[in-house]
Amino acid sequence: MGRPPVTKPVELYACLYAKEFPAQALLRLRPELRHKPCAVMEGEPPLQQVCSLNSKARALGVAHGMTRVEIDTIPSVAVLQHSSVEDACARKTLLECAGTFSPRVEDRSNDNAFLCVIDIAGVETLFGPPSTLAKNLQEQVRTLGVAASVAVSSNFHAAICLARGASSRNQVAIIAPGQERATLSLLPLAVLDLSVAQAETFSLWGIRTLGMLAALPEKELIARMGQEGNRLRQLARGEHPHHFLPGEPTFRLEEHMELDTPVELLESLLFVIGVMLKQLIVRATARVLALSSVTITLQLEGGASHIRLVRPALPTNDLQLWIKLLHLDLEAHPPQAAIVSLALTAEPGSTSKIQLGLFSPQLPEPMRLDVTLAHIRAIVGDDCVGRALLKDSHQTDGFRMEPFTVPSGPESELNSNQHRAATRQIRPAENVAVTLQAKRPEAFSFREKRYAVEHAYGPWLASGDWWSPTLWSFEQWDLVARSHDGLLLCCCLVRDLTGGCWQMVALYD
Amino acid sequence: MSSASLLRTQIEALLAARIPSALTPLPRSIRPVAATGIRNVDELLKGGVPLGAITEMVGPECSGRTSFALSYIARMTQAARVCAWVDVSNTMHPESAAAAGVDLSRLLWVRCGVPVTTSMQQSSKDGFALPEKYLIPPPIKKGLHGGGFGPHPRSEVKGLSDAVGDFLRPEVTEPRCAEPQRKVRHASEIFEPDLPQTVTNGRKPVASSKPWLRIDQALRVTDLLLQGGGFSAIVLDMGSIPPEYVSRVPLATWFRYRAAAERSQASIVLLTQHACAKSSAGLVLRLQSRHALQEEPTVFTGMEYRVDVERERFTVDPTNVVPLRKPPQSERSAKWHSRATWVGRR
Repeated sequence: MGRPPVTKPVELYACLYAKEFPAQALLRLRPELRHKPCAVMEGEPPLQQVCSLNSKARALGVAHGMTRVEIDTIPSVAVLQHSSVEDACARKTLLECAGTFSPRVEDRSNDNAFLCVIDIAGVETLFGPPSTLAKNLQEQVRTLGVAASVAVSSNFHAAICLARGASSRNQVAIIAPGQERATLSLLPLAVLDLSVAQAETFSLWGIRTLGMLAALPEKELIARMGQEGNRLRQLARGEHPHHFLPGEPTFRLEEHMELDTPVELLESLLFVIGVMLKQLIVRATARVLALSSVTITLQLEGGASHIRLVRPALPTNDLQLWIKLLHLDLEAHPPQAAIVSLALTAEPGSTSKIQLGLFSPQLPEPMRLDVTLAHIRAIVGDDCVGRALLKDSHQTDGFRMEPFTVPSGPESELNSNQHRAATRQIRPAENVAVTLQAKRPEAFSFREKRYAVEHAYGPWLASGDWWSPTLWSFEQWDLVARSHDGLLLCCCLVRDLTGGCWQMVALYD
Repeated sequence: MSSASLLRTQIEALLAARIPSALTPLPRSIRPVAATGIRNVDELLKGGVPLGAITEMVGPECSGRTSFALSYIARMTQAARVCAWVDVSNTMHPESAAAAGVDLSRLLWVRCGVPVTTSMQQSSKDGFALPEKYLIPPPIKKGLHGGGFGPHPRSEVKGLSDAVGDFLRPEVTEPRCAEPQRKVRHASEIFEPDLPQTVTNGRKPVASSKPWLRIDQALRVTDLLLQGGGFSAIVLDMGSIPPEYVSRVPLATWFRYRAAAERSQASIVLLTQHACAKSSAGLVLRLQSRHALQEEPTVFTGMEYRVDVERERFTVDPTNVVPLRKPPQSERSAKWHSRATWVGRR
């Protein structure tokens, strides 16, 4: 009996490659510039150089390394400043998008291009055959505003080479198992990261494509170029092995944008916020999530920052609702200076589902209620809308305001039929002129009317907060008084013993 | 056709010139109402306050409007409905509302015209703050005792006269109960108020004498709540605003509210001192206080109120036949009383 044959584990990799990535990362959040020639400059002025550009700019003759003066000679080229923060943000976004197809993702990006390889072995049952997966991946990346090519191969490096050598940006290429060498043979040597010396040697030998490199005899190549030559030959044949080092893409909903010029008008800022929110919503939707809260951080001129948090009652992916809520919030709390850059951070939450009942009472719709409450907050102030929550305290105004949400609990128990006299608290307490007789109130004037006291109950002594100098000692009187025209007034008067003044604090209504 | 209906048709045809459709009952539309929780008033209103209409509760201060409205809101929130209280003068007392049975988590409270106090004021009110005089270090004394911090012997008796004066306060020197008492005629003591001072933080100070800003805020908020929908009852509390201001609110506002309430079947309760919604109000109740309950000699126990139906928009006539004699009139007023929160069950 022989030993069972050792089966090699099935390998399948998808490579996602986006070239001219600094330009693509900036244009992702600036859709109005996508159809114009754009060049991205890097470096301190006046020593700026073009580090990335789009195809329309290339068609006009813009090239890497051009200076600002050279760019200015070409009309109609939009010039953007390179932003490493936006670049990093876009990279994270793409990695996270790749992570939705497989947990094993290796990042091989460099400064000018985004490149990641996804281990897609064994995900056919979830995402279909490799061609479908590649198309879906490319479609997802396109919704994020980035054009990228996708290549699938059972060899890691072959997939990279093929993705890099793709003729157009939006290409999906698949290498059948065993066909690596034949498929790669027509690609130029530039798809391998050759050093200057190696490139010079190969050009002297007349080697221009991977097929020509793959056909070189192994021993002679090693004798002339060493093991590095052998590595390049293996890469060209699609046989070079790779030890996969998966990264762990974190899921963090964050978008950052640096504005070209400081913005003061809120309306113009909302266009940018809309684009960024759309990106966040696309990313959250891909994971069947919704945005539960959004924090907007505005960097202002002068170094200050303005941070606002918006949290609706339920997580939602409604773009218009989010824009409205952020607009109302920023209108109520405007930044004090012009805005230089902004960042949006969102917390994901589960998509909301509400079970409605056929006989349940009519309740406010949570999304509309959020907008209504934001409108009301803009009118009366933040602390003046909500539901009152009673504190366990005997202080006057022993309550605090909480944001109002529609409660989903059952009906509460019916109380007894005893009707309680309501108190109308007068805030702030009004000073009244009181006439005393034998230390008891006899008459008082309130709101330009004179009242004669019929019954005075009290005094009830209240010391208030003993540590507070203003609330040292109070004397409280419940008075039943009648004006000369027969109007009855039941009220609560307080005498501040330290200040020696009388105040009307409440009416029993 | 049966003989009865044939007969009815013939009689109606004969009487058509004098009494149109004499034997056919009028089509009745049943208007939904919600109970207020006060039995006498519910009986008077034949069920309660109408839904989808404006109910105006008119009366001076202390006439029971707030207790009435809170009782109604308590009923609503206990039925798992959501209500709103637009507080124009910021006078609602949440403890009272809770005592009346209102589920505060189902009540949206909008406080209009609240001035933003400065942080310094807030901190001194909330937390411990040592008066400034204690923070000033004592001056270094130079002189007889060579810079020692002890007081000069001369100042040791400082404040002694005040301390002695405190001992001689009237309550200390008053004769005790067993001692023979001399009849003393007390002079009236009058306290005059100082001018109120309100410090605001950038926002416009809201003067109590000019409540336009508050009224404007409240009307806009009510509009928003009605547009948003879903609130079963909205109380617009203008009970502390003098009538000369409230009556200047354009009638178009109340008409708009009436239409919105009819559409959303929300009931708008208006607390005012003077009827202002005019023909837009579905029901106008006039409230007045009768007298304070005197069940205990030492504590205030409650009040008795009277409520009159001043106007009811949708009164249904029992028949379309005009009677020759004056029909019996229904009762138009009711009495009820409310007790203070500290009074036990009676």
